[in-house]
Amino acid sequence: MAIFVQALISGILIGGVYALIGIGLTIIFGVMRIINFAHGDILMIGMYATYYLFTLLHIDPFLSVVITIPLMFLFGAMLQKVFINRALDALPQNQILLTIGLGLIMSNSVMLAFTSDYKILTTRYSSSSVTILGISVSSPLAISFAITAAITAALYWFFLKTDTGQAIRATAQDREAARLMGINVRKMSTIAFGLGAALAGTAGALIAPTYYIFPQVGSIFTLKSFVITVLGGMGSVVGATLGGVLIGVAESIGGVYFGSGWKDVVVFTLFLLVLLFKPAGLLGKSRT
Amino acid sequence: MKRFVVLLGAISLFVPSFAHGAKVKIGFVNSITGPEAPIGENLTNGVTLAVEDLKKKGIEVDLVKEDDTGKPETSMSAFEKLATRDNVTGIVGPYSSKCAAALAKLAEKYKVPLLIPVASKDDITRQNLKWTFRLSATTNDYAMVLLDMATKLGKPKTMAIINENTDFGTSGAKSAKEYAAKKGLSVVAEEAYAPGSPDYRSTLAGIKAKNPDLVFMVSYVADAILLMRQSRELNLVPRAFLGAGAGFATVQFAKEKDISNDVFSSAQWTPDVSWPGAKEFNERYKARFGKEPTYHATTAYESMRIMAETAAKAGGSANRTRDLLKRGKWNGIMGEVKFADYDGYTNQNKHPMLVQQIQNGVHETVYPPQYAPKKPVYPFPGWGK
Amino acid sequence: MTPDSNAVYRARRISLASLTLAIGVLFLLPLFVESTYVLHLMILIFINTITGSSWNILGGYTGQYSVGHAAYFGAGAYTTMILLQYRHIAPWYGIWAGVVAALVTALIIGSICFRLRGPYFVLASIAVAEIFRVSVLNLKNITNGAEGILITEIPPLSSGGILITDWDSKVPFYFTGLVFALLVILVSWRVGRSKLGYYFQAIREDQDAAHSLGINPTIYKNIALSISAIFTSLAGSLYAVYVGFIDPGSVLSVELSVQIVMIGIIGGVGTILGPVVGAALLVPLSEGLRSNAIANLLIRAGIVDPESRAGAFLKENLGHAHVLIYGILVVIVILFMPEGLVGFVRRAVARRASR
Repeated sequence: MAIFVQALISGILIGGVYALIGIGLTIIFGVMRIINFAHGDILMIGMYATYYLFTLLHIDPFLSVVITIPLMFLFGAMLQKVFINRALDALPQNQILLTIGLGLIMSNSVMLAFTSDYKILTTRYSSSSVTILGISVSSPLAISFAITAAITAALYWFFLKTDTGQAIRATAQDREAARLMGINVRKMSTIAFGLGAALAGTAGALIAPTYYIFPQVGSIFTLKSFVITVLGGMGSVVGATLGGVLIGVAESIGGVYFGSGWKDVVVFTLFLLVLLFKPAGLLGKSRT
Repeated sequence: MKRFVVLLGAISLFVPSFAHGAKVKIGFVNSITGPEAPIGENLTNGVTLAVEDLKKKGIEVDLVKEDDTGKPETSMSAFEKLATRDNVTGIVGPYSSKCAAALAKLAEKYKVPLLIPVASKDDITRQNLKWTFRLSATTNDYAMVLLDMATKLGKPKTMAIINENTDFGTSGAKSAKEYAAKKGLSVVAEEAYAPGSPDYRSTLAGIKAKNPDLVFMVSYVADAILLMRQSRELNLVPRAFLGAGAGFATVQFAKEKDISNDVFSSAQWTPDVSWPGAKEFNERYKARFGKEPTYHATTAYESMRIMAETAAKAGGSANRTRDLLKRGKWNGIMGEVKFADYDGYTNQNKHPMLVQQIQNGVHETVYPPQYAPKKPVYPFPGWGK
Repeated sequence: MTPDSNAVYRARRISLASLTLAIGVLFLLPLFVESTYVLHLMILIFINTITGSSWNILGGYTGQYSVGHAAYFGAGAYTTMILLQYRHIAPWYGIWAGVVAALVTALIIGSICFRLRGPYFVLASIAVAEIFRVSVLNLKNITNGAEGILITEIPPLSSGGILITDWDSKVPFYFTGLVFALLVILVSWRVGRSKLGYYFQAIREDQDAAHSLGINPTIYKNIALSISAIFTSLAGSLYAVYVGFIDPGSVLSVELSVQIVMIGIIGGVGTILGPVVGAALLVPLSEGLRSNAIANLLIRAGIVDPESRAGAFLKENLGHAHVLIYGILVVIVILFMPEGLVGFVRRAVARRASR
């Protein structure tokens, strides 16, 4: 029983980080209908930025989020304006390949610039944990969970209460109608991509103290983020949050009961089941 | 007297002396890019130093480097190119076991001697191949030396195995399991994980519940650090943590003092081992590259040295090089090297494995006693605050 | 005859003649070329042509972009290798078992994934391929898991007492690859011109409209997938026996699936020549970058001075940068030549002809 609870708690905590990645992807897909295969690589760039802010300027990773968010937003917006924008009317298949190509460019440029050496970001609290009722809770993960919750809340408020946020939602719901209503859909796309990138980069920053950093780290997270977004429902922020936590827990508990090697199969099977029986996801609106 | 001098002069013309500007062309296949690139870099460094030393001895090495990107088919095209277009006398490399497995058969086909520095998969030298040589010990040896030591230091009864589900991890785990049976240890848990997971807590919690005396791990650096961090979090306290090479033997791991203390790892080479030139090599490498050499660097260094010297002696003939490799004996920073046939192995060097333990953030060689300046700490004292 | 149709007649004669010439040259190549390195490159090109062309039948013609084709490649590879190494069944029988395995895999995958459309189909295809890969990785008793399968020898092929080949050189692999590649191109061409091909394209253009016209999308999508899977598995089996070693990472990975898609896209999706061009371009490019040949070429052509900083950087790093350049190429093709190289060239030629 203790193992189950431990797995549950660990799963929820790591799920927080997954959620952040998923939210970023869901915003991009919701607004632009593009499957961003470079999402994980954007996360990787966020990780490297955090690493260098820490080692060169001694800024704590959790605090450096304040710098990383706007930086990654600009990066994402740039990517959108220069590359993705040109392919908005292309076949979706080509769009996917475009993002794959961009991802390859990102990971390999980083490899050339910084070598493939694994970089470990060690803070005072990287290995510390708190034991509550016999369950060990990782301190850095708990903090990232809290920050993720705060960001999700802020995003939710942004989409519900601000004009820009509502404009983005409108664009996601029906691009043509939004355009007819006078919304600058091109600008919304840029903002959406920037936002998505900022979230991915932030997820990278939050996970940096407890994980390790190398140029190809993105690919592991890209696949997972797809599963999360579909599970939660493409375009739903709360859905992605829920999806992230669910996947974290599924992975963790799946690992205990099926063996660590089968963890990924558990996640992907869940993914397929959702795609087949509830393709709109848990909280998505029915729309094929 | 004059006739004697003339005779001496005449004879010296016929003595093939490689000490005077011999030139040899050697190929070097390595993972320069690709997932193994960080470790591949160590091999490149080792070879660079070797080439410099050889030059000082008067052997000019025309080194042809090829990148195998970690893929067997790329490794094969690299080998082809070296053997047929560059016409090298011998080839050193590759790094990974799966590439080495593919190349071993090519060496036989093209009749170019291949000296494998550090790929440890057992099968490679168990195929009766005459043209493939291996300097390093095999995966079996990694496990054996750790279990030998553990059973000498105490009387552990149970063991848990955690390994990454790659070739290296799986063969390491297999070796550990087989040898454990021979030593009377019962394996109470066996977890193979996919590398790159951020979270091993559930795996480790399961292992903690089984209360093993020994925890045997096969991982690369990054996962090793995560595993140990999370072991500490969960307060997993076996009598010893046994790390089979790779991740646990690196300096990066050792530096994480919070989590690395008293962890054992098996290694092919350590900086304070009592082999000729080892300590000097360590200093020189540190000064040059800013970090300590790993056994990947030292095996690559020694392999290149042996290959080039032999090729020079053989006057650039691949055939003769193979002969001389088979019959030769060397003693350098990797200790004594002799490629022998034994126990089903062909052209395998019987390299003695070492065990290190991290004490105060530094790797200390602790076993076997004849090469080890320090004593091991056993059992594991627990996680301090 | 009008002058126009005369020109068309002549053009067709020329292209048929050049095609025959090209095939003839390919068959005679091993007689003139001694270099095993060139043969090796050609074999890789053939394998990539086969995978690209088979993917094209499902992706280009039928519009179903599967990014999980490695599953069929791996099914063929593993079946053939397991039968060869553990049961000593010769590969010329083994590959057909591989085809059966791939077909079964395809039908399972199809029944799951074809209910989905567009990007969801893409994601599902990746997910099933990954499930397949992890399963192969974990079922160690059958597949030897991460340690992979290494073949110790290939039995000699003889017919009626005469030894055809003992597989010692690359030449038999070259011809096998050539024959398979020609076969898949032929099938591609015939299918493209047949009623089947039109049904495929109808599904691609508008699945619902096609359905309303009486074309059952599920049946035809599965047919397309089956044809695709058969040939991809042949390529996988050939690769496995040729390289002599496989493991889940080399024949079942997402990277491989992406590579297969890239060949079709860069060459020109939906065309017969596209995957051929894609393979013929990308394989030598990849090799050339990796082996520093291109860097050396630039230096020798005097474009870059090896002493300058740019030159030194290039010499050191261009070899490492091959994947980066690959990525840049893909981006350029997608943004500026979405119909692939073949499409781009065709349009350029048409533009010139109409002047």
